[in-house]
Amino acid sequence: MAHAEHHITPKKTLIQVFVALITLTAITVFAAQMDLGPLNVPIALSIAIVKASLVVVIFMALKHDNRMNAVVFLVGAVFVVVFLVLTLFDTAYRGDLPNTVEGTIMEEQAEQDALRARDPGPTPVPPSQ
Amino acid sequence: MAEASTVTAERPKHLHPHFVSSEQQFDAAKMGMWLFLVTEILLFSGLFVAYTVFRIWYPEVFSHSAELLDWRLGGLNTIVLLASSLTVAMGVHYAQTNERKKLVRALILTICFAAVFMIVKYFEYTGKFAHGVFPGVNFDPHGTAGGHDYAAYNIPFAAQFFSIYFVMTGVHGLHVLIGIGLFSWIVIRANKGHFSSEYYTPVEITGLYWHLVDIIWIFLFPLLYLI
Repeated sequence: MAHAEHHITPKKTLIQVFVALITLTAITVFAAQMDLGPLNVPIALSIAIVKASLVVVIFMALKHDNRMNAVVFLVGAVFVVVFLVLTLFDTAYRGDLPNTVEGTIMEEQAEQDALRARDPGPTPVPPSQ
Repeated sequence: MAEASTVTAERPKHLHPHFVSSEQQFDAAKMGMWLFLVTEILLFSGLFVAYTVFRIWYPEVFSHSAELLDWRLGGLNTIVLLASSLTVAMGVHYAQTNERKKLVRALILTICFAAVFMIVKYFEYTGKFAHGVFPGVNFDPHGTAGGHDYAAYNIPFAAQFFSIYFVMTGVHGLHVLIGIGLFSWIVIRANKGHFSSEYYTPVEITGLYWHLVDIIWIFLFPLLYLI
């Protein structure tokens, strides 16, 4: 195998990324002062993700690195999402279903059908004579 | 493989016997670091999940409690950490271009930025402790400072916010301290001329660690101070 040269990130690129990171920090502070209601959290998180991506791709040089390292990192990121989403499936929906009725939804349905069969209510009047 | 015998005769000093080439040794060290960083990300993600669960349960408590954290200090620390990431990236650049003096200078600057971060953190923590804002059961905010009546923040579940704040920034701060220790070691070695474009693995992988510490803060700053 030929001797692979390491990618040397130019100083100019590093400084440009730094300036971009500082600018994004200023934007996220400014956006937080504006108080955009329900958009506050998504905007702050989106900016943080862009900043983190810049650091990973340029400062950590994943762009020019062995692809295997990118796979390792992305698998890690995927598992963070799995961790978060599966936990929220539990915690975010607690109390939405009132577990006060014994038996299953099917049994409840059958009970209501039986009541309806016993007392169907007034028969609908035919539309014409 | 035919040239293996000739290569063996001139193995560089840094190359361990169980590696074929410097390149293989470098790649192995780097992938090992990335795997370690993934375990670090998962360590912090436990804390981020705790934050998310409690924030979804008590959104107004979290945004109210966050007012007690000074975004100017958090913002200053963000700039300081971003600058330290730049100097680390510059350090790797100088290691690759055999500029020893500049490498040492970049790493010393990194340590200085990290120290500034910890000093700001110290003043933030002591400012909170002075007004009874402790993690856990000792949470008892009182007094006034910076236009805030701390007693007004003694609401149900505010203690959870501040416990999460102290644990997240505490674990992060511990990583910053470890980073200072690692870079001190790297500076000494760099000053002795241990690193060159042929061998700079410790600079590279400690740099990766430092960038991860920076990334964690990139998320902590808006989540704790801004929203």
